[in-house]
Amino acid sequence: MNTQTPALLRRLLAVSFLLSLFLFMAIILGISIGSTKSGIRSVLQSLLGGEASDSMASTIIWQLRFPRVLLAGLVGATLSLGGLVFQAILRNPLAEPYILGISGGAAVGAILGILLGFSRFIGVSLFAFAGSAGTLLMILVMSSGQTILKKDSLLLSGVMVNAFCSAIIMFLLSLTQDSRLHNIIFWLMGDLSMLDIRHVGILAGLIFPCFIIVFWQSHSMNLLLLGKEMAQSMGVNIRAVTLILLITTSFMVSTTVSQVGLLGFVGLVIPHLLRLLLGPDHRILVPSCIIGGAAYMIICDLLARVLPQQGEMPAGVITAMIGAPMFIFLLKRSGK
Amino acid sequence: MNMAIVVKNLIHNYGDTAILKNLSFSIQKGDFFIIIGPNGSGKTTLMKTMSGILKVQNGLLEVMGRPIKTYSRKALGRTIAYVPQTMQADFPFTTREVVLMGRSPYLGMLGLEQKADHEIARKAMAFTEVESLADRKLDQLSGGERQRVFIARAICQEPQIMLLDEPTASLDLAHQVKIMDLMEELKEQKQITVVMVSHDVNLAAMYGDRLLLLKQGKIVTLGKPDNVLTYQTLEETYGCTLLVDESPLGKFPRVSLVPRKALDPSKKAGNHT
Amino acid sequence: MKKPVSRRRDHHNSFSSQLPIGKDDAICPFLMKEIRHTPIRDPNRRFKFTYLAIPLLVVLGVFFATEKLCLALQVTDQLGRTVTLSDNPQRIIAMAPSITEIIFALGQEHRLKGVTRFSDFPSEALLLPKVGSYVHLDLEKIVALKPDLCLAVKDGNPIEVIQRLESLKIPVYAVNPTNFTSVMQAVVKIGELLDATGKANRLVRSMNSRIQHVKSLVVKTTHRPRVFFQIGINPIVGVGTRTFIHELIVLAGGRNLSEGPIPYPRFSREQILGLSPEIFIITSMAREKTFDKIKADWDRWPDMPAVRSNRMFVVDSNLFDRPTPRLVDGLEVLVKLIHPELFEEKR
Repeated sequence: MNTQTPALLRRLLAVSFLLSLFLFMAIILGISIGSTKSGIRSVLQSLLGGEASDSMASTIIWQLRFPRVLLAGLVGATLSLGGLVFQAILRNPLAEPYILGISGGAAVGAILGILLGFSRFIGVSLFAFAGSAGTLLMILVMSSGQTILKKDSLLLSGVMVNAFCSAIIMFLLSLTQDSRLHNIIFWLMGDLSMLDIRHVGILAGLIFPCFIIVFWQSHSMNLLLLGKEMAQSMGVNIRAVTLILLITTSFMVSTTVSQVGLLGFVGLVIPHLLRLLLGPDHRILVPSCIIGGAAYMIICDLLARVLPQQGEMPAGVITAMIGAPMFIFLLKRSGK
Repeated sequence: MNMAIVVKNLIHNYGDTAILKNLSFSIQKGDFFIIIGPNGSGKTTLMKTMSGILKVQNGLLEVMGRPIKTYSRKALGRTIAYVPQTMQADFPFTTREVVLMGRSPYLGMLGLEQKADHEIARKAMAFTEVESLADRKLDQLSGGERQRVFIARAICQEPQIMLLDEPTASLDLAHQVKIMDLMEELKEQKQITVVMVSHDVNLAAMYGDRLLLLKQGKIVTLGKPDNVLTYQTLEETYGCTLLVDESPLGKFPRVSLVPRKALDPSKKAGNHT
Repeated sequence: MKKPVSRRRDHHNSFSSQLPIGKDDAICPFLMKEIRHTPIRDPNRRFKFTYLAIPLLVVLGVFFATEKLCLALQVTDQLGRTVTLSDNPQRIIAMAPSITEIIFALGQEHRLKGVTRFSDFPSEALLLPKVGSYVHLDLEKIVALKPDLCLAVKDGNPIEVIQRLESLKIPVYAVNPTNFTSVMQAVVKIGELLDATGKANRLVRSMNSRIQHVKSLVVKTTHRPRVFFQIGINPIVGVGTRTFIHELIVLAGGRNLSEGPIPYPRFSREQILGLSPEIFIITSMAREKTFDKIKADWDRWPDMPAVRSNRMFVVDSNLFDRPTPRLVDGLEVLVKLIHPELFEEKR
């Protein structure tokens, strides 16, 4: 670092470091606690190896909990970042990652996949992904009469497509009577338990490039928020930036949703929370949403596994129950 | 190469409606150029075309001697700064952050600002007297203050031409004069060509070097305020009775609206006092 | 009479020349001396011992050998999957309440270490550790119980869980009971796995004979009453052809009004009135109170034969939707409800 290191970089590094610490602690907690209480000591024992480590505990920690914790982190990061990007592109603070029909399309696709008898990986995932790609295409076509720059048309099309898909979903649900109903409902509520480490690795490989692309455009997102004309007059290619961000974000959110179902609320609350704490500069917010969103989701998933006496709660319930009050508290503190 | 902007045979349509009908004029470097005209005359469309936001559909537009098409977006951003009429304030940027964004045409990928950029921003904020507001959020400022912040941002672009779309609309009297004085200072101190759209004919008369009077997409007349603001021209263009005399404040015309009660035959209907 | 030791040594050279005794003494004394100075041994006894030792050694050898090779067994389950497991599993997880019932019925509950949440029959099963519900299994709890065999059902257990268990080197054997025949096959197969083949066969024979008995009774009837079997209250849901209940109704001599390709078809009240059921059976998923309410609802339509002749009944759902030997209990309950005349005649 030379003396000319911009203040921004310094701030970015400081924030990232703090959040990464938080993430690290969340991961450790996540793999230490589960429905068979192993505890942090057994994690350490397992890491340090030797005959003292119990192989069953090791299996539980590394083969069951660790992939799940990684997956939770990845999902939290993706959804938070997705929310942030859509709030910037659509210049609307109510935007969240599912707003452009991604959730509706993925759900319809997944339900069809389950009803046709496919298993989660690959069948149902592919159906879900195809569904969300289909709805996105539909929305782009519907709002292409106006240019993509017209954010309201994108938003409205998204809302309508989601509503339509909800109707289809209810119809399909009403038809199903057997145990597939369970599978469908678990998918709709979001389920982090079904993937193993290889699948998590593949998912990460698909999503990390998206993170990088979004970070690359973070300054453009700042400018976008001043208004599209302003941004253009300052050198931003609005059409290209919007398209790149739209496609990249939709891809990463669709990929995630097709694997784990619809985990709600994360993509709405984390960007706002971090914006309240760190300010609206996307060059800081993008990495913060990735790291902070990951930590948040890991903690919520942990609580979802541990709190109920029998079985587990859907993680989406926890993200809402914690996120909403936290957000309101911070809002009040910031004096709005 | 005296011309900041040259417009030849400019035609612009929105769908089937013709907005700009074959405009041709040029703006000299260092001019305070004010475009006036009734609503719907195409002033904003003309501004947006000159700033590069709208693409030239038909005709020629040259900026600093080069066709606008030859400029990259960033290069154009370094040449022309645009201040629109309204700006969104949904997201809570601080004054400093907004002003710094004006440096974007000079910055790389992530827009990492160096010390020099911060210094330029500071000077710009000092120039428009918003330095004390540097850390306040945008939505906590008054209309006039916000406008000065946006102008500071435009100054940071270190442009040669500044385009402002009705910058004094919805500002109170004190701020109106302040903004206009600011523009004059910019023109004189930094040799920036100021191109402005204004609905206020008197402000245009007081500050403009040359005025362009537009009506329904066509040029009515172009020239010094004295030549443009004659009562025949104005009454024809605006379609109402107006009183034009010389302002007591300087060598520029003063345009007054004439209320119906003043048209009483018992009073003299005169143009010159 | 003692002879000098040297004499004994001399017997190697020649018997007769060395010994100062008579011919008869030459051989016998030596032998008699040998015999006298060593304990009396029954030669047959020695042989018997050897006979016993060898098979014993073989058995012990095999025992120790198979101890080392205890994962040598490869079987094919009811889904056609090849499963490698130990031939004497001691720690079993039952991944559905029906499996729990079968294991108890086979008397092998001492091998059972974990069951799913609604395993409530027999009541001893309630004391066993729980591993989640059969549609939402808790992998951690399963792994923590260190099972050497998991028994799964196709209809319900998610395939992903089975795959995860296998990737953790836990053998999973799946059954797919869809009718009486496959239920009995599952009982037999599970019996084989748990070394309870005898019990399994006896159980199946008993099931078969009871079914045959019911069949023989039903054969004497002339009329198949129209039966509506309601498993869902709101909306009203019946049972299609591919359910256990349908098979039971048919075997019990009734006609299933909701038969058809849809496994759990829906009906409106109108449709049911149109079908005009003579017998109305509701499963006890709801409590007694609700049954009275449902009955009261239907009592408003006295045109329905089942209402007119007051033939509306509630039955224990667990006898009808679990693929276990208790299905035969369900059959017997049904035949008494559908053809009570068969039993009145007996009295």
